[in-house]
Amino acid sequence: MTVCHTLAVARGTTAGVESALSVWRASENQAIWWADGTGEAEMSVRSNRIRRVLTRCLCAMLLVVFGGGMAPAAFAQSGADPSEVPDLVGVWDGGGRVRPVNGPNMPWVPGENFPVLNERGSAHQAVFDEAIASKYDCVPSASPALQYDPYMMDVTQWPDRVLFRYEKDDQIRTVWLDGREPPLNEFTVQGFSVGRYEDGALLVETVQFVFDITGFDDYNGIPSSQQKRVTERYWRDGEELRMTLTVEDPMFLREPVSYTTRWLPGPEGYKLQLYACSAEEAGHPRKFLIPKYH
Amino acid sequence: MKVLLWMVAAVVAVAVLVTSVPAIAHHASGPFYDNEKRVEAIGTVTKFVFRNPHSFLYVDAPNAEGTMIAWEIEMGTAVSMSRRGWTAETIEAGDQIKVVGQPSRAPGTFGMCCAELTKPDGTPIRP
Repeated sequence: MTVCHTLAVARGTTAGVESALSVWRASENQAIWWADGTGEAEMSVRSNRIRRVLTRCLCAMLLVVFGGGMAPAAFAQSGADPSEVPDLVGVWDGGGRVRPVNGPNMPWVPGENFPVLNERGSAHQAVFDEAIASKYDCVPSASPALQYDPYMMDVTQWPDRVLFRYEKDDQIRTVWLDGREPPLNEFTVQGFSVGRYEDGALLVETVQFVFDITGFDDYNGIPSSQQKRVTERYWRDGEELRMTLTVEDPMFLREPVSYTTRWLPGPEGYKLQLYACSAEEAGHPRKFLIPKYH
Repeated sequence: MKVLLWMVAAVVAVAVLVTSVPAIAHHASGPFYDNEKRVEAIGTVTKFVFRNPHSFLYVDAPNAEGTMIAWEIEMGTAVSMSRRGWTAETIEAGDQIKVVGQPSRAPGTFGMCCAELTKPDGTPIRP
């Protein structure tokens, strides 16, 4: 393994670093096994070790200079053209000064992009009772609602992943850029996200969501299923961060639906606050509504 | 004269913005509160709970018959309010306050939302 090869792998992913080191360890063990007790072999092993030690030192220095200096700067997935990687790093404001606040008609606007439900979706919506929405028990908001909640969002780009941290509900989404596949039987509130850079944008695909009785939005009693697939495209437009989001869920929707929105840079030096949803306060308003079934 | 009118309008607009409780972004208000009605309470703050996803203000205020009512006024998330300068100490127990907002729907409850908060004499409560 050459220095350059090692560095390239290490720059690509964290897993790449581990992989490179494991190959290194394997070759080292092999050299010791070859020694077999003869003086000539021992000499060869010793000189090999010295060469490896020097190589490691050089690699370490290069990693510190190039690798360490880059992280967590945007470098992109392995093999991505750096010129195609948009700079998404920072705290982004998705509040009321930037875009209309979410509600029953926002961002899903009747007559424009409001979803057409199939029979199953319509039946679920018809029996839905606001009193049982899981947000009143601090279950966090999920895609596609989370992205439109009027809070701050912090984005960090690493070589092998992009982290989206949401002030709303203290949520973190990891978008893997290293080509890994979703685990077969793992379903979560935020799903499993993979991404890639393309044409100056970050493309994210998320699947493996749990069934969520209000998983489509926070306001209209529309559920989402484990067949939900959310696609996001993020790009920069001047100082703005823009995104187009598309939801597919054949369990409940007749066809995919999309919205486009934007964020502006958050206040200088702003750090996300702890949301720490209070279960007591989350459920407090329930006492003020008249349940559908009583 | 026109300049004076514009100045008055600007002052009123700022006052409304400053004293209005931040909008509820966690859930729709419609199922919980009647947006076609307005109620008013003038009384004493007993507690201010500054939390997420909603803050709540508790006010004891007499109704028209003189019976003391314990109002629970739903406010915005602490995270959003703090960006506008609010803290857990902006309103304290014992403060005199006037609250005007939408009443809760469930019979026998005294919730309120989307309220405007001022001191009883109408001066704004500033964060």
